[in-house]
Amino acid sequence: MVGLSLGEKHFIQGGIAQDIRSDGRKRLTYRPINVETGVIPQANGSARIRMGATDVISTVKAELGKPISLQPDKGKVSIYVDCSPTAAPMFEGRGGEELSTELSVALQRSLLGGKSGAGAGIDLSSLVVVEGKICWDLYIDCLVVCSDGNLLDALGAAIKAALSNTGIPRVQVAAGASGDEQPEVDISDEEFLQFDTSDIPVIVTLTKVGRHYIVDATTEEESQMSSAISISVNRKGHICGLTKRGGAGLDPSIVLDMISVAKHVSEQLMNKLDSEIAAAEAGEDES
Amino acid sequence: MAGKPGTTPTTYSPSPTNQKIRRPIFNENEVDWVRPDGRGFHQCRPAFFRTGAVNAASGSAYAEFGNTKVIVSVFGPRESKKAMMYSDIGRLNCSVSYTTFATPARGQGSEHKDFSSMLHKSLEGAIILETFPKTTVDVFALVLESGGSDLPVVISCASLALADAGILMHDLVASVSLSCLGKNLVIDPILEEESYQDGGLLITCMPSRYEVTQLTVTGEWSTPKINEGMQLCLDACSKLAKIMRSCLKEATSTSQE
Repeated sequence: MVGLSLGEKHFIQGGIAQDIRSDGRKRLTYRPINVETGVIPQANGSARIRMGATDVISTVKAELGKPISLQPDKGKVSIYVDCSPTAAPMFEGRGGEELSTELSVALQRSLLGGKSGAGAGIDLSSLVVVEGKICWDLYIDCLVVCSDGNLLDALGAAIKAALSNTGIPRVQVAAGASGDEQPEVDISDEEFLQFDTSDIPVIVTLTKVGRHYIVDATTEEESQMSSAISISVNRKGHICGLTKRGGAGLDPSIVLDMISVAKHVSEQLMNKLDSEIAAAEAGEDES
Repeated sequence: MAGKPGTTPTTYSPSPTNQKIRRPIFNENEVDWVRPDGRGFHQCRPAFFRTGAVNAASGSAYAEFGNTKVIVSVFGPRESKKAMMYSDIGRLNCSVSYTTFATPARGQGSEHKDFSSMLHKSLEGAIILETFPKTTVDVFALVLESGGSDLPVVISCASLALADAGILMHDLVASVSLSCLGKNLVIDPILEEESYQDGGLLITCMPSRYEVTQLTVTGEWSTPKINEGMQLCLDACSKLAKIMRSCLKEATSTSQE
């Protein structure tokens, strides 16, 4: 928990009401985003995102697996977030576990689409090697290294960066296997396939403090929130997932207004993130 | 199964004003199908509530929506565990679990953490926690049979159990979910529809205050569609709350007799 004095609370709330926050930002301005890709050589793809003091790492590992019988033409993706107690003492034990599940579920909701696989940011059918027999299983693991608010947006951005950094080995399927036999495969260690990450949404969290909403709230600002809505928006401007936090009730018209604000903010965030990712990739190639 | 006829409507489908919007949706896509249980797209399953299902609890409720059957008991307010820090407002502790026989494939029967936290977030805004400082209210929900829309039924049933326990709330909490199948919105989906859905929307709200306490959306949605879905759900929620309220009234009037 953040210990704030009454004066500090008033300062934060008053600043937000007057559109100048304690670190000088406006209500709808993000902190500078710092992207590094390829930070974990063991993984197929990885990225580290820093927004102010919030620091997260996301990795992608691909393994060959078998598609589930209900959806033979789709690969599988699992997302897991780990909040290490090294980041904050409150992450120890049950507190960290609860936050981890909450973040994992919110990310799955935003990135994996409906049960039928429609509207998924990650194209699951591109993960299939042999229909009904072999597919790629993507394990997306995220680690919260340091937390200073707005974890969900940072994690969403880190996953997008990590996926665009991911190379999936090309697989040669040995001909001749028939019927129910599991075909033999040869995994190339030279040729890699790149992921199409243009459809992956960005997550924008609007935190409601008083009567106004802010983006990219710090921990101090989050402690003053009445409720927050995380909305993931893709390039087409469609909403791909929505999660509400905080117990306070909201008028439905405010929810709709928040959705339209989030759509507007997401365009800028998407462009900024894309250029940062491209710059990080270019920097990695040079070194 | 259903409540006494004539007293209250047992269904909480949105009002006919929405049916005007509904017709063009059907024609334009030529994808009209009959839902597995023969309902219309915007027709909800009959809702049945009964309070006082468990004697040992301070309040409890049983809900049955089609094949979805849940039981919720509320214990407390009782003393918080010794290890807990002092708190000048009350604590709410929620737990949702499934029986091993609730799902088609035999389940684990363990606590459903995601649903538990969703239930907590839906209810905490409605309960006036200031009225029972230093104490904890435990809400235990058990899904006896999973027939689709489990979480909304659990939430509605839990708020009824809280009311039965006499815990002060701003309003009853009603919850309705909706599935997006192709271009159609299907309200109160059953298990089969949920497993094929392209997207889902869940609203929990306090109908008298007209406030949304919890909202989740999955899948890809355009803004007008979210609008339409929210309106449908809010309308259904306010009708569901009427059924819940009449169930409470019925329970108190029979106990007085």
